[in-house]
Amino acid sequence: MKIIKKISLTVLLGASAFSCNNFLEIVPDNIATIEHAFNMRSTAERFLFTCYSYIPALGSLSGNPAHTAGDEFWLPQDNGTPAWQIARGNQNVVNSYMNYWQGNQGAKDLYEGIRQCNIFLDNIERVPDMTREEKDRWTAEAKFLKGYYHFWLTRMYGPIAIIRENIPVAAGADKVYPARAPVSECFDYAVELMDESLAHLPDRIETEVSEMGRITKTIALSMKAYVLVTAASPLFNGNSDYAGYQDPQGTNLFDIASFDPSKWERALAACREAVEQAEAMGHRLYTFRPEFFQYEISDTIRTQMSIRNAVAEKWNQEIIWGNTLSLSQSIQADATPRGLDPTQTANSATRGLMAPPLKIAELFYTDKGLPITADNTWAYGDRYNLKIANTEDRLHIKEGYTTVRLHYNREPRFYASLGFDGGIWYGQGRFNDKENLFFVSSKKGQPATAQNLTAYSVTGYWPKKLVNFNNVIGSGSSYTIQSYPFPMIRLADLYLLYAEALNEVHGPGAEVFNYLNLVRERAGIPNVENSWTLYSNSPGKIASKEGMREIIQQERLIELAFEGQRYWDLRRWKKAGEELNKPIVGWDLIQEDAPSYYRPKVIFQQKFSTRDYFWPLPESELLSNKKMNQNPGW
Amino acid sequence: MLNLTIKCMQFNLFEKGRRSPWPFAKMLLVMKLTAMLMLIVSLHVSAGGFAQKIQLNLRNASVVEAVREIQNQTGYAFLYTRDDLRGLDKLNLSISSRSIETVLNKCFTGLPLDYVVEKAEKVVILKRKTALGPLNRIRHLFQQPTVHGLVVDTAGLPLPGVSVMVKDQTSIGTSTDINGRYSLQVPENATLIFSMVGFQEQQIPVNGRTEINIVLEGSTSQLGDVVVVAFGKQKKEEVVGAVTTINPAELKVPSSNLTTALAGRLAGVIAYQRSGEPGQDNADFFIRGVTTFGYKKDPLILIDGIELTATDLARLQPDDVASFSIMKDATATALYGARGANGVILITTKEGKEGKAAITVRLENSISTPTRDVELADPITYMRLHNEAVLTRDPLGILPYSDQKIENTIQGVNPYVFPVTDWKKELFKDYTMNQRVNMNVSGGGSVARYYVAGSFNQDNGVLKVDQRNNFNNNIDLKSYTLRSNVNVNLTPITEMVIRLSGSFDDYTGPIDGGAGLYRKVMRTNPVMFPAYYPVDEEHRYVQHTLFGNFEDGRYLNPYADMVRGYMNYSRTNLGAQLEFKQNLSFLTEGLKARALMNTSRYVYFDVTRAYNPFYYHAGSYDKVNNTYRLQLFNEDTGTEYLNYQPGAKTVNSSFYLESALNYDRTFADKHTLSGLLVFMLRSSLTGNAEDLQQSLPFRNVGLAGRATYSYDNRYFAEFNFGYNGSERFHHTHRYGFFPSAGLAWSVSNEAFWEPLKQAVPSLRLRGTYGLVGNDAIGDGRFLYLSNVNMNDSGRGGVFGTDNGYSRDGISLSRYADPNITWETAAKTNIGLEMNLFDQIDIQADYFTEHRTNILMQRTATPATMGLLAQPHANIGEVKGKGIDFSIDYNKAFQNSFWLQGRVNFTYATSKYLVYEEPAYDEAPWKLHVGFPVGQQWGYIAERLFVDDEEALKSPRQNFGEYGGGDIKFHDVNGDGQITALDQVPIGYPTTPEIVYGFGFSVGYRAFDLSAFFQGLARESFWIDASATAPFVAYHYNDAEANSGIIYQNALLQAYANDHWSEENRNLYALWPRLSSTNNNNNSQRSTWFMRDGLFLRLKSVELGYNLPPAVAQRLKVKTLRLYASGTNLMTWSKFKLWDVEMAGNGLGYPIQKVYNLGLLVSF
Repeated sequence: MKIIKKISLTVLLGASAFSCNNFLEIVPDNIATIEHAFNMRSTAERFLFTCYSYIPALGSLSGNPAHTAGDEFWLPQDNGTPAWQIARGNQNVVNSYMNYWQGNQGAKDLYEGIRQCNIFLDNIERVPDMTREEKDRWTAEAKFLKGYYHFWLTRMYGPIAIIRENIPVAAGADKVYPARAPVSECFDYAVELMDESLAHLPDRIETEVSEMGRITKTIALSMKAYVLVTAASPLFNGNSDYAGYQDPQGTNLFDIASFDPSKWERALAACREAVEQAEAMGHRLYTFRPEFFQYEISDTIRTQMSIRNAVAEKWNQEIIWGNTLSLSQSIQADATPRGLDPTQTANSATRGLMAPPLKIAELFYTDKGLPITADNTWAYGDRYNLKIANTEDRLHIKEGYTTVRLHYNREPRFYASLGFDGGIWYGQGRFNDKENLFFVSSKKGQPATAQNLTAYSVTGYWPKKLVNFNNVIGSGSSYTIQSYPFPMIRLADLYLLYAEALNEVHGPGAEVFNYLNLVRERAGIPNVENSWTLYSNSPGKIASKEGMREIIQQERLIELAFEGQRYWDLRRWKKAGEELNKPIVGWDLIQEDAPSYYRPKVIFQQKFSTRDYFWPLPESELLSNKKMNQNPGW
Repeated sequence: MLNLTIKCMQFNLFEKGRRSPWPFAKMLLVMKLTAMLMLIVSLHVSAGGFAQKIQLNLRNASVVEAVREIQNQTGYAFLYTRDDLRGLDKLNLSISSRSIETVLNKCFTGLPLDYVVEKAEKVVILKRKTALGPLNRIRHLFQQPTVHGLVVDTAGLPLPGVSVMVKDQTSIGTSTDINGRYSLQVPENATLIFSMVGFQEQQIPVNGRTEINIVLEGSTSQLGDVVVVAFGKQKKEEVVGAVTTINPAELKVPSSNLTTALAGRLAGVIAYQRSGEPGQDNADFFIRGVTTFGYKKDPLILIDGIELTATDLARLQPDDVASFSIMKDATATALYGARGANGVILITTKEGKEGKAAITVRLENSISTPTRDVELADPITYMRLHNEAVLTRDPLGILPYSDQKIENTIQGVNPYVFPVTDWKKELFKDYTMNQRVNMNVSGGGSVARYYVAGSFNQDNGVLKVDQRNNFNNNIDLKSYTLRSNVNVNLTPITEMVIRLSGSFDDYTGPIDGGAGLYRKVMRTNPVMFPAYYPVDEEHRYVQHTLFGNFEDGRYLNPYADMVRGYMNYSRTNLGAQLEFKQNLSFLTEGLKARALMNTSRYVYFDVTRAYNPFYYHAGSYDKVNNTYRLQLFNEDTGTEYLNYQPGAKTVNSSFYLESALNYDRTFADKHTLSGLLVFMLRSSLTGNAEDLQQSLPFRNVGLAGRATYSYDNRYFAEFNFGYNGSERFHHTHRYGFFPSAGLAWSVSNEAFWEPLKQAVPSLRLRGTYGLVGNDAIGDGRFLYLSNVNMNDSGRGGVFGTDNGYSRDGISLSRYADPNITWETAAKTNIGLEMNLFDQIDIQADYFTEHRTNILMQRTATPATMGLLAQPHANIGEVKGKGIDFSIDYNKAFQNSFWLQGRVNFTYATSKYLVYEEPAYDEAPWKLHVGFPVGQQWGYIAERLFVDDEEALKSPRQNFGEYGGGDIKFHDVNGDGQITALDQVPIGYPTTPEIVYGFGFSVGYRAFDLSAFFQGLARESFWIDASATAPFVAYHYNDAEANSGIIYQNALLQAYANDHWSEENRNLYALWPRLSSTNNNNNSQRSTWFMRDGLFLRLKSVELGYNLPPAVAQRLKVKTLRLYASGTNLMTWSKFKLWDVEMAGNGLGYPIQKVYNLGLLVSF
């Protein structure tokens, strides 16, 4: 009995005497904190990659606003892609689509990306086991990315808040609310960062197998050229639409009302430097010359392959910057029409729902290298009449197939870029162009028609250019895709920027023609002087700066079609108001015979107003930050 | 006398081996047998001589020990009742004598004992001193009339252990046996007092009767009752805090889930049930509503002192529950300072009682069926309206169904080519059967007592089983519990209690779960394909089922999903507990100590076995011959064999230690003083934590205390405190001190109340105020630390020509902030307890609560900061208030008729006092402050747009496309746009503010009937406009969205009947203009789809029959009760689409209506 008493007392006292504080001190000392990221090179590398991870996913149909927010692709009614809601006129202040400011509705959070870059820049010097050179290089990469993110936001929102330094998490209310900086300052800051990065970036990637895709000096110079061309373009240079617009502090945010020719001069210099650097590093326009190919193919197909593969062959010599963090896997399935292989019509892995509207099909040149409206040899008025394809068309249109004249006598880029009813589709398992190649047939009841409500082309066109010719459609639901890092910038783009800047600064001339013709030559069309003087209805157009501007612009829209450039180009040229108020037109898909099918049908009437040049600021941001006000018109 | 002698002869166990039966012993035996005095007869017939010398050396020995020693040495038999020898002083003496009289005289000097030595028979009779001498008294008893009878509770169950006493002669008494029977010899004109803890005392004059049967009413108004409070018990009349107790029998419902019985039965509890799926049907419950918008809102659940989950509570058998209390205010919960802020549910399980083994068995079989089914439109309407949905939005749109298909379907041309699939019928049965068994055994002796209980419940789902499979894909939840409570008296002042309990769930069921399948049925197309095709000539040799599908087999076939496999899960919760109770009155009177150790182990795992269905479609339809060919979609991916997939595994162990010192003493009959000091320590560890921080042990330590003082049973004062530490906080904010105090006044015990005593026998007022804490304020651990993920694949990068070099990134999900600390609730309670005419008990409480330091996200941080995680801080404040009351009515009539009625009511509301949000200068209606927690903000829906033109002219609505027939919202701030600034508070909170219940029980002789109604009010819910939108692909989660499976919502009949169409431009139609895609405009939270959650339902009815004791005896059972009961039999509500209690969850597994037959037998 006494023993029990003792036991119970011991338990009681022992428990009470237990050291409470030690008992609760359970967190080990070396729990991971952000400081750990910079204790070793390997973790610092992860942090660098984290900075990279905010690059917008241009190769994703839903992650890149440029694909569907404009007029380049139209989608089936059921599609919920946030960017497409912008194209449909549903952009709003409440829950804005492709909201890169806050990182939702399809977008990445770029201010978060900028903060990560700043953390990296603040701490990289602490890493003990890195060489000076490596620290400098990584710093340069982070700076470039920080600049790129600022540029991306500026291009979308106009004036933005510049984040030079991180504001501490626990900062008071007076510090956490930044004001927006005028547009010019935003561009300058992005360029400043890119300039700072140049000194320590490698000219080219040494160990390609592990580092391809990292930022090089060539990339930085090219993007800097792109940024400066954007800043010099009409939207940001001499745009008085937003004149007098001030923020609550009275700052004139759109300080771009008066045209400043020096912006073009600065852009031209940057373009020249970038072109020289790219060429010095061995970048050339791509042409299809495989060391080994099993078939002797015709020149027609070879030209097509040069055009298609300039985008869809990974790390071809033309690619300056390929985004390894955004591979073109899913987008190729979205671009490939269903039933291309008639034995596999049940295979729905080829979703084929990216539908370029009729206006994109009409954008491409004739085989004389001229707009369809400008070519004397091409019957513009008859373009919707029908014609049966004969033998000489066999590499373009299925022999004996009836289709509209619009599809005849077009430039190689038309056939390389677009799939259409009756159009030959080279590759995808059939490589011998002397035998029967695949072709698209999309009238009602045919393989590429709408078999369900979610995955079909609403216009009757497909962006063939994005599809690597090696992809194979198998049985069941198998579609084997040769993926490629989506091109962020390639040499043709740079050439056309250069030509554009040359024309703006010096007007038409040999140098302008030269860079244009380099691109046209690869595209398999006559040079610009010949085309316009020999076949066009306005041969003098190439002599004027304005005429040349239009020619360069169309060249750019054609060459870079479906690569996510048209959307931004139309904006910076202030052409969106014109183009994005046109209807989206496609063929009458639910018809079985050619005469009924080939009736242009208005799918959607797009609307675009001045305010749409810039994204609305998220309403929730304005509610907390009283130093900002809404963009004009929203 | 003759009769008695015969009886004695029959039962004389001592007949054998006895040379001459002696008359006095005979008489004693008769007395024992008839009066049921618990005599322990200890006979030791010694062969030794008489004049032996007796040697006694007693050191701190009890009287019993002394008696045994004398018995051993002398061979005398001692006859006594154990109770008479209890609580006597210890003996310290040394005797040496030949005379037993001398020895006894010395031994019992100063003790209140009489003794008689019958030398001839070698018997000593020991008895407490009474007015009568012991022998006289016994003889007196013998001549008195005997009263016998049966005591039952209101449910008709016999009550063992009821004390039966004669009024004013407390020495005469007995208690009922395990059958609830008693027999007692009483003086003439005696009045019997029947009393038992938890029941209302009854006084019945004998009036010459020989049989008196009594129904004891368990009630909440037990003056003199004992209430289980934090770390102890208090007399009901001493409790100052707000505590609701319930007779556990009232929680008995025909369900395997105790939580479903809470609503309306306990004043102060807000409870509702959203699903009827076995295993997923826990009700949500909150004590006095929700007063925080922090992380943990639900109460602390303590079963035998151990913190457990709602599921553990759900599995508890009401038959095993000894007490069930709800701690509502600060003084009641202060001792649980760490977790008490949301209220505490305190449950103790039964312990064994001395006596023969008593076995009780309960058997139940019930039929359950959905209370209300969601009605779907017929397939033809579905097709027509789907076409309408496409055309009305896009006149050029591609029609999903051709006229030919519709016509052929109507004609029923071919059921496989033009299928009409009633998925609900394919998958679900109309009803299912469930079984429950539980039994318990209790008993014990003077040293040890035991209570062992076990139960087995089988709950089945309403899913159909495909006979071609040899496995059961229906929900089959078997839950077992086993509980063993053993009390051991180590010494007269030391008690050891061992409690072992286990609860085990074995589940097999569909992979998607019941609710998942209900949701799938609501999202599949009724005319695309049948559930499966019959085997045709071409597929004669195929071993698998030919499941229907379309388009590569990417469409949803819920039937295939249901029958393609099954999931097993197993859930185990084991607890082992050791408790010591030590009376320390040898140190100072009234001092006790207690120590309790508990360890619990929790294990959960699931495994999934399934085949991949082969999907076919009837294609190549030949109109002329009406034939089709089956096309197989997934030859490569389908399997005929089962694949195995391991699932989640959770293991958890926890340890709890509690030690307490208790002091309780009354001085000078008027001053009662008590004190309690408790130390507690809790630690638990999870075996499969997601990250390092989660893997660290969860710990709490605390010191809590209580001091009470009462004067003359009139004035009561109480002070409590909890001083608690939690590992969750930085060491500078680790400990919280939570004091509380209360006062009570028993007005009816005042002298001046005497005149009113007849009408109002009891009246009591109480008031308390205090602080309680809550450390479960965020779902993360260690909110003061940053949480960094050094291997975040979502933030990584990949480089290289062939993407060969990839590294994960680094991300952060929380920033460090050492200032994060306790959430605190300041609670005030004012209570009134009253009894009227000894029949009506009223208990009412008014309460307020001020919750501060609620952790909330700092919403003011702009996105330009670029933070990876939103910082949180202890900013929020909420004020809560409300009332709860219960009224009980009990009346037993002389003619075996009794009536009981009760009402419970709880109203709890809250409002935000501090809530960080943007300064809505121009839209003050957006501000949370002043509105209840759970208040929803949304748009005011004016009506539907007349046409597109009106839509264009009206303020722009920024949620996607809209036009005629879509919902028109009110532009509250008049800025010409509908934006988030136009959201206003709409409706009631989503948690009901009023929950109430009322019911009655009546009994007449062997029959009893009870009914209970329950309802709630002041709750709003929203019809999910996305989940119910016809024809739309709705995904409940990302996994569904990314699965590649095509979902297509079904069409509710109600929507088919009443929607806007171009022909019928009903501006107030139930559903706006149809659409084949989700219309984001219409699915905004608005008043359009807001519904009132108000309902009243007949929650339960029970009709019982208790076998008359005479019949029961013949059947060799003690009691037998047969009963039929039902749950959720009727509901009154304005909402008709589904069971209103499911609120927004209406497309899930329906709440069940249950019809039940039960049998209760005890042996």
